[in-house]
Amino acid sequence: MLAIPVLLGVSVGVFLMIAFIPGDPATALAGDTASPDAIARIRVELGLDQPLPVQYLRFLERLAHGSLGTSIRTHRDVTVEILDRLPYTLELAFAAVLISTTLGVSLGVIAAVNRGRTPDLVTMGIAMVGLSVPTFFLALIGIVVFSLRLHWLPVTGAATLGSLVLPAVSLSLHSAAVKARITRSSMLEILGQDYLRTARAKGLRERAVIWRHALKNALIPVSTIVGLQFGSLLGGAFIIETIFGWPGVGLLSVQAIFNRDFPVIQGTVLLVAVAYLVTNLLVDLLYAWLDPRIRYA
Amino acid sequence: MRRWLIAGLVVLFTACTTAAPSPGASASGSKVGGTVTFAAITDPETLDLHQTSNPVASTIFGYIYEPLVYQDLDNSYKGLLAESWTVSPDNKTITFTLRKGITFTDGSPFNAAAVKFTYERLQRVGAKSPIFETFKSVAKMDAPNDSTFVLSLTEPYAPIFHDLATSYAGILSPSTVQAAGDKIDRAAVGTGEYKLKDWQTGQLVTLERNDKFDHAPAFYKNRGAPFIQQVRYKVIPDPATQLAALEAGEVDALGLQAKDVAKYGADKRFAIYDSFTYGLTYLGFDAARPPFNDAKLRTALSRAVNKDEIVQTVFGGTLAKIACCPIAPSIQGYDEKLKQYELKYDVAAAKSGLDAIGYKAGADGMRTKPDGTAFKPVLYTTTSSDHTKISTLIQAQFKAVGVDLQVKQLESAALLAATPKAEHDLYLNGYSWNEPDMFSLFLSCDRVKTSNRVLFCDQTLEAMIKAGRTELDQTKRMQIYFDAQKYTMQQAPWQPLYMPVSKTAVVARIADLRQGQAGGLLWHDAYVK
Repeated sequence: MLAIPVLLGVSVGVFLMIAFIPGDPATALAGDTASPDAIARIRVELGLDQPLPVQYLRFLERLAHGSLGTSIRTHRDVTVEILDRLPYTLELAFAAVLISTTLGVSLGVIAAVNRGRTPDLVTMGIAMVGLSVPTFFLALIGIVVFSLRLHWLPVTGAATLGSLVLPAVSLSLHSAAVKARITRSSMLEILGQDYLRTARAKGLRERAVIWRHALKNALIPVSTIVGLQFGSLLGGAFIIETIFGWPGVGLLSVQAIFNRDFPVIQGTVLLVAVAYLVTNLLVDLLYAWLDPRIRYA
Repeated sequence: MRRWLIAGLVVLFTACTTAAPSPGASASGSKVGGTVTFAAITDPETLDLHQTSNPVASTIFGYIYEPLVYQDLDNSYKGLLAESWTVSPDNKTITFTLRKGITFTDGSPFNAAAVKFTYERLQRVGAKSPIFETFKSVAKMDAPNDSTFVLSLTEPYAPIFHDLATSYAGILSPSTVQAAGDKIDRAAVGTGEYKLKDWQTGQLVTLERNDKFDHAPAFYKNRGAPFIQQVRYKVIPDPATQLAALEAGEVDALGLQAKDVAKYGADKRFAIYDSFTYGLTYLGFDAARPPFNDAKLRTALSRAVNKDEIVQTVFGGTLAKIACCPIAPSIQGYDEKLKQYELKYDVAAAKSGLDAIGYKAGADGMRTKPDGTAFKPVLYTTTSSDHTKISTLIQAQFKAVGVDLQVKQLESAALLAATPKAEHDLYLNGYSWNEPDMFSLFLSCDRVKTSNRVLFCDQTLEAMIKAGRTELDQTKRMQIYFDAQKYTMQQAPWQPLYMPVSKTAVVARIADLRQGQAGGLLWHDAYVK
């Protein structure tokens, strides 16, 4: 499988990028008041005094033993750091994909079926808003309305099911808009096709025609987007996580970058790469199910 | 159909959301009980007090670990885990008599062996600790018996008590450290007023009252265990969300920004408490290379800075106090009499000063260097919103005297790496160090590669810094720092701007909370009504 070379390539790429970012972990760790001697000692402790290729080989060595290394900040296994946050990221990713797909596809179908009439204009108007308004703005509005005014939902944290609502909905609106538009154009293409006329002639109810026969084919382009969205969400949603204090992988990665915590940066990038590879595989399988004409050797 | 589904889901979520934390158990007149929740901008990452300088971590382990001494409200040092001490005539040996009968929360006894163990560990693994350098001047340490600890220094070191009073100098329990294989990032056991109860990574740290605690500093009315049963730190990375959390009751206390002071001051649900900080923000000039290695240029441009405008515009006049001198008003060594040497805002003097050294204005009103080349100095600072606003103001103030200032904002790690290379012409940032020996860290020659971010190296000042560091007579010491500050103000590697003032909104159900002299609120006496 191509997966292994891709992952290796990604790890080298990240390693090199890190080497060229200004600032190293030793100065970042040592803090503002450190002496030159302290920084030098930290550098030795972290193995940063070794040449780059040596550091990279050490990294591969650890990887071969199943370890992603140790966080420079917390001294815990990178694997543990990621696994501590992964459930929350998965929860948010699933919820966001579910909401955006359900919302987007439904809006798209309504628009397509009612092409040119009011429902079409309204749903596409909503989609336009969802595409244009920045996510963080929607998130903050959500907090003001649903947490502070109505007291329906908590502001921060991940303690309850309720805490998932605002982050997931904020995260899904942009993607829902994209899916709505794609579903609409995809459906419009399909709705004119002969096989649907045949189905109607056979006496099938309109509802079944649309939701069972037409939609299945219209979903093919949408599933690519679902795959891309899910893969990217597995890398965390930094802005949403920051605003809501949602303890996911996004915050971990960005904090690691600010801290120059190389092992964690490498670990999270590899995670994202793996996530993309896996979801793309799943999307390919989904294609095969949706369109029987597509078969893999 | 779908509408009912959505409504049903909303009802379900409402039922699931947690209610606000239950109020304090003030049943039958006991003040003990209740939970107070604070906001933390990041996860503490580690509670190993020798291996971090993360302020969230030090706040939290400050509850768990105790140092030998504390700083009293009059800035003198008193015994905390130490009962008393004597200093040898040559000022190089300090003999501490330790308090008896204290145990760590793991049950093991606090004694001199634990103190020696702790400081030896600091010397071994503490390169990341802000007090690592202190222990470089320790020649040897002895624990002749359980309640005597002897510290022998290579030379007299006046800041030793400041360093020993920080939370980074807290005492570890050797048995816990050994049982944890020296990995105490999450195994924090001390003698302090709280113990670590739970830590949900990236979310919440919960501390529980140590009911055996019995030796709080004398400036507290309550000398025993704290009243507040639980202290929690919730990780909320975004300042706007922190404020929303305060509104929603998910957080009980929060430092306010200037724009919110009036609103929360009038809000009956909260009480506002002031406290100074041990810090100062300054505009620095890179003294290592042209053009700002010229003191006359530094003094001329210093006069272009309108500190009052900065304090009014950015801090609403309330959250900052103008600073005249390198040592902040809240720190020992500050002296009002130094105000006469302040380079006060004076546009005419700035202009004539620049003219006098050959920085003449061209046709466009902007000045050029004496050799005729363009003068476009670059200011380096952080990405914080305060620094963004301040640097914009300074840019305008410099333009008014014909200087075209460029501003470059860098995130923390990049900034720390850039300044030693003298890439910058000016530097806007603050320091936070509660000791006049801050000169050693920020203005001395051997820190030019690190914490001296104006790369100022001057032998006259260097001699004064060394003298101040080794002088133990208070009166003589303060005179040395008076002279050092006067010299620094005349050489102007820094134009001190302001000392931050903190205003904290605290929910009204917290009673008996007092303002400390500086550095925070006195929570130990407070209780939940």
